[in-house]
Amino acid sequence: MQGTEESKRLWLLAMPGLTFFLVFFLVPLGALFLISFDKSSTGIVDIRWMFDFSNYERFFTRSIYYEAALRSVGLAALVAVIALLLGYPLAYVIAKTTDPARNTFLMILVLSAMQLDMVIRLFGLMVLLGDNGLINQVLQSAGWDRVPLMYNFFGVVVGLVQFALPFMILSLVGVIQGINPSLEEAARSLGASRWRAFWKVTVPMSMPGILAGLLLVFALAISSYVVPTLMGGWKVIVLPIHIFQQISELAKWQFGASVAVIMFLISITAMLVYQRTSNRLAGGRV
Amino acid sequence: MASKPYSEALIPGAFKWISGLTLFILLAPMVVVILSGLNAGEFLTFPPEGLSLRWIEAFFASDIFLGAYFYSLIIALITMVISLILGTAISLFLIRSTALGRNMIRAVVMAPIMLPGIVIGLALYLFYISSDIGLARTQAGLVIGHVLVTCPYVIGMVSAALVGFDRSLEEAARSLGASRWTTFRKITMPMISPALIAGGVFAFIVSFGQFDVSLFLTPPNNTPLPIALYSSLRYTFEPTAAAAGIFAIALVVVSMVITAKITSLRRLTAATYK
Amino acid sequence: MTDTSKPKGPNRRSFLKTGSAALAGAAGVNSFYINHAWAQDVAWDGEPFDAQGATLRLNEWGGFWEEAQREAIINDFEKTYNCTVSYDSGFPWFPKYVAGGPQNPSHHVGNWNLNEIIKLNRIGDFFLTTDEIKENVPNASDLWDFAFGSGLGATWGFGQYAYAYRTDLVSPAPTSFKDFWRPELANKRATYITSNGLQQVFFMTAAAEFGKDQYDMEAGFEAMRAAMPMKISDFTGNMQTLVERGEVEMGVQWEGEIFLQMDKGISVAPFTWERKPILTQTLSVSRYSDPIEKKLALAYVNAKLDPDYQTKMAETFYLRPSNKKSALPARLTDKGVTNDANALDGLWIPDWNWYLDNEDDIVETVNEIFAS
Repeated sequence: MQGTEESKRLWLLAMPGLTFFLVFFLVPLGALFLISFDKSSTGIVDIRWMFDFSNYERFFTRSIYYEAALRSVGLAALVAVIALLLGYPLAYVIAKTTDPARNTFLMILVLSAMQLDMVIRLFGLMVLLGDNGLINQVLQSAGWDRVPLMYNFFGVVVGLVQFALPFMILSLVGVIQGINPSLEEAARSLGASRWRAFWKVTVPMSMPGILAGLLLVFALAISSYVVPTLMGGWKVIVLPIHIFQQISELAKWQFGASVAVIMFLISITAMLVYQRTSNRLAGGRV
Repeated sequence: MASKPYSEALIPGAFKWISGLTLFILLAPMVVVILSGLNAGEFLTFPPEGLSLRWIEAFFASDIFLGAYFYSLIIALITMVISLILGTAISLFLIRSTALGRNMIRAVVMAPIMLPGIVIGLALYLFYISSDIGLARTQAGLVIGHVLVTCPYVIGMVSAALVGFDRSLEEAARSLGASRWTTFRKITMPMISPALIAGGVFAFIVSFGQFDVSLFLTPPNNTPLPIALYSSLRYTFEPTAAAAGIFAIALVVVSMVITAKITSLRRLTAATYK
Repeated sequence: MTDTSKPKGPNRRSFLKTGSAALAGAAGVNSFYINHAWAQDVAWDGEPFDAQGATLRLNEWGGFWEEAQREAIINDFEKTYNCTVSYDSGFPWFPKYVAGGPQNPSHHVGNWNLNEIIKLNRIGDFFLTTDEIKENVPNASDLWDFAFGSGLGATWGFGQYAYAYRTDLVSPAPTSFKDFWRPELANKRATYITSNGLQQVFFMTAAAEFGKDQYDMEAGFEAMRAAMPMKISDFTGNMQTLVERGEVEMGVQWEGEIFLQMDKGISVAPFTWERKPILTQTLSVSRYSDPIEKKLALAYVNAKLDPDYQTKMAETFYLRPSNKKSALPARLTDKGVTNDANALDGLWIPDWNWYLDNEDDIVETVNEIFAS
């Protein structure tokens, strides 16, 4: 066991970073938290210490707000699961590809997809998924009816999955690479089918990456403003849209702040669930 | 990482098919944007009306877009360096210290990626204005916002790499009389370098493409690329924006190729974050 | 609603001395309450002056707009007045003004839409009145009256509201405002999210056309309901793309962007609404700026009210000028636009104050309708 000497050193080392988070994250967020308990009034930003719960009451008594919270959670959870189902196989392929050039090439494809600007990316999706988009044109020329692929919940899901996939894949690749191939090999030599070996050995061993990826994608999806706005045709109203509207359009900082606080609590809950699950699985540190 | 020749044989066939689908979902919008940026026509069309470099030229001729591109590049580099330094120090603390409240601290430093960037941007903006500390509408203020949302990635990756870290080498170096700094530089850093590189790449990419946090923190006269694109697309959808998108993608490809030269990308991905 | 200009609660300084310094500082009262009374009396004689390197903070649209403004005004302006222009294209600016408060203006001069200026003025004493601007800006005397019609800010450019419709897809061509509600346009018509001024005007116009008058909120809601299903865009640029790609066959738009699309060879045409609401580019001058910056702001406004500048903007952005002496470029005259008293006949500025009085309700209900 290192003594207090080491402990002190580590504190000192981390101090600049921790101070940074204290001053520029906890303090501004704490202020927002305090504002959220002030009585709502247009255009006032200062804390007036008029502590009450009226903003929260409003949130939980009006369906457009609490339904948006449920929608946000459901949407983010769904996106996380789909991103896992689509991302895992590709991550697995990347992890198992031994040829360095091919491996590099696949990684570049995934990473460059991360870099495309959101607004332009959504233009690309519109060209593909719009009512007059390429997919619908193909459907039509094949004699089928057009399908509404965007300006609805489905469109938002596709947009968010498209945006979050690289994050999921990158969370998984490293973990899958870390699995000792001889374990899978051993399972197979004991007569397990390829699938059985995969389910019994690979999946459990990639759990840390799966959980981390799910959490990250959930976080990215629940906090996105641009994608639901542009892909949802204003039919999928989520919490970030309410926050933005309350503050930027209605100048109701207090109510906007309370929506932000609720969102923060949802995210913290997701993180706690993640920590507990991974602690249970790993039986150790996160 | 040991790469055994038979490991590719382990890939189930269905995985290859799904991977193809996943790659299609990832890349199809990019192909559309790239082709639109090379469009010869007057406006954004797809499929393009013939290919030309006119919008690429328009991108280079535009002070606003080109300036924004380089501004984003600079911001992303500064952000990356600061995030790496702060994040590595915090990771060492989180993993090696036995101090109480580590889990709490961990939750706090990871929290910025769990919040909408717009909320972080607004909260910071309000903080700058009302505390009057001279950060409102400045480059420093913008970088602070970017560090907040990129540092968690660095912390996640580096601390994951530190978890399985064998400290006996460090102890050996120390007992041979190496200073703490030398030990860190010669022993610790090389061993966690994949995580550092991965964290750096993430910080860079997230900062370069950052829209939400920048929205309220952007300093006047200097606009990061995503904000510049957004504010010009509000008015009209010019193919120049798609051309700018091509260069943003190119930047990642180039930086990845350089990274691949320095270190194998397999090592990069070997550092996961949790 | 107009009581924000006074400091509230304990002031920031006293907080800083207490233990909760940082927290209170983060949200405390805005800046120092210097007595700005003298700042209100700034007068400018219309002559260029040496601002000795002062910085003029302004908010205007970004991208190509910014490039055009720098070329048309700002580069010269900085030289003539020996000042630096700090150009903030980071929309939305409204919350920035709110966060700073009237006494500590986040920008000295703004170029934006009337509704936001009015909205801020209801929250606090942010801006000079039109009379104060007129007194200090020489070019103001050459403007058509409507430019100051709102009582707030100075309007230098405008365009009429219209539907952008695809000439190849919509037949017969629309002949009335109500044609937007044709059954065959279901899901092929589009308007904007509630924060966009175009939707706000569309709502009031629909209320006026379908109900008793523009104040008939229920009729407005009913019209929005009847228009569903429709597409909802965020900004006009996105609407252009939707129309170009045939996702939308008829959408709410202002004429300038339709003219732009026509000249690019896209098969669209404007249908101008019978009631003639207009979209404006309006300038605001912050009341509590320091004297030098305030003089610079007035000089900047003067430069924007200049007839030649307005001609340039008409050429680039298809905006109609508000200056009587401004000549129209061919690309506007060939679309039948004129710059005379007749052109202004029947222009309608909806009652923003009414809208803002009811904004909370309208936003909530319209959001629900759009989401249904």
